[in-house]
Amino acid sequence: MRKWPIRLAVIALIVIGIFSFRTLKQEPLYHTQSYVFGTLVDISIYGETEDRAKLLADHILRDFQALHDQLHAWKPVSKNQPSELGALNTAFANGSTPITISPQLAAMLTDAAALSLQSQGLFNPAIGHLIATWGFQRDEFSAVNIDDAAIKALVKTRPDMADIVIRQNTAYSTNPNVKLDLGGYAKGYALDKAAGYLRQQQVKNALVNIGGNIIAIGQHGDKPWRVGIQHPRKPAAIATLALGDGWAIGTSGDYQRYFMLDGKRYCHIIDPRNGYPVQHTQAVTVLIPPQKNAGVLSDVASKPIFIAAAEDKASTAAMLGIQYFMVIDQQSNISVSKALAQRLDWLDPEVNNNSHVKLVTLP
Amino acid sequence: MLSSSRSHKPAFSHLLAGDWFTIILSAIIIAFLFQTLWSHDHAAKVQIRIGDKVYAAYDLNQQRDIIVHGAIGDTMIRIGQGKVRFAKSPCHNQYCVHQGWLTHNGQVAICLPNQVSLELIGAQKPYDSLNY
Repeated sequence: MRKWPIRLAVIALIVIGIFSFRTLKQEPLYHTQSYVFGTLVDISIYGETEDRAKLLADHILRDFQALHDQLHAWKPVSKNQPSELGALNTAFANGSTPITISPQLAAMLTDAAALSLQSQGLFNPAIGHLIATWGFQRDEFSAVNIDDAAIKALVKTRPDMADIVIRQNTAYSTNPNVKLDLGGYAKGYALDKAAGYLRQQQVKNALVNIGGNIIAIGQHGDKPWRVGIQHPRKPAAIATLALGDGWAIGTSGDYQRYFMLDGKRYCHIIDPRNGYPVQHTQAVTVLIPPQKNAGVLSDVASKPIFIAAAEDKASTAAMLGIQYFMVIDQQSNISVSKALAQRLDWLDPEVNNNSHVKLVTLP
Repeated sequence: MLSSSRSHKPAFSHLLAGDWFTIILSAIIIAFLFQTLWSHDHAAKVQIRIGDKVYAAYDLNQQRDIIVHGAIGDTMIRIGQGKVRFAKSPCHNQYCVHQGWLTHNGQVAICLPNQVSLELIGAQKPYDSLNY
């Protein structure tokens, strides 16, 4: 009988130990949300002290602000100072005298030109005038007066990345109708830059989300980072998946930047071939395995697939080397490549029984 | 004599196999109870963020309208019957209002122009970040 007080004391100590451990053990996850780069930026850093994580995140946010100022398609940095891209666009419009650009911008434009070629022109950052005509070079959107003749005329000028000549950090355009809009490239570029910086700073685990485009480093502690994919028509995720070290994911959709006119939706993704917003597709998601420009690809690659007609989407994905992609068409039908289907956990109850989901085999 | 000398020895040398079994089993049961009693799967609160700061978290178990001051004006957020939504916002396109009611853990709605975001939170998030 004398053993029991001691046993109870030991049990009590163990209970207190467990209790203290659970309440004092803080998960080392730092998470910040910020409005930078014209959009919502979410940075999660796991496994660093809060002070260090904050310093790292602040550095990244400052980088993003600098990129925002440098690459803005229509806003000047200040009253008398255009963005670097704005100045370049003005020079393009004024003739073919080369102007000096930063090595960074030169590299971006060279890369964007290569991707444009690879997508057979479906990804075309030179169609800034068309984008402006549809009213999407503004912060908020409203229905515009659709001038068919003006749109046809703009399409006929055939602005193309191949019209831009880049040599020794100077650039000029042989076509004055080229107006650069890097909206489909810049977020991806910024993701790669942020990931590179974090790795260089020996950060082992982080997740960076710029306006919905996400890149992952490491894991969330002892499990992989998990991302949700926005349902195109509901304020919920349609599916989730694990995002491994170095993987990136991007979605192009008709539900964030659009206006309604006479019951029809006009979104910001313009088909360069006819000058009109795409109306047959609600969303395209691409998943990119680890590689040097995973971020850029997660941004760029969804556009050509979005723009391509339904029967061409799979071959367009193949053209860009995209193995993991999902398409949701205007009737809410879902097509997923087999490789991506294996990785998705469907959340939406309408989709759960897989009756809406079609598996696509790549050509 | 024997009993008094035994009471000066350290506790552990008294313990037999059954004692250890009791201790370990109790510890396991208690840890399990902590896990189950302290975890919430369904959304109990909405977290409102303005700009880069967390403004507040509100219980969804109430009927209430909240007005917050964002970058371009006042946004009204409505809570009721375990749900939350943007009711009024100064933005031009009203996308936030059109998102409708948020009902499940992890769901998010944002008013980008006014820099206000709503997120339903509980202990278990179905994902770390949303791709859109």
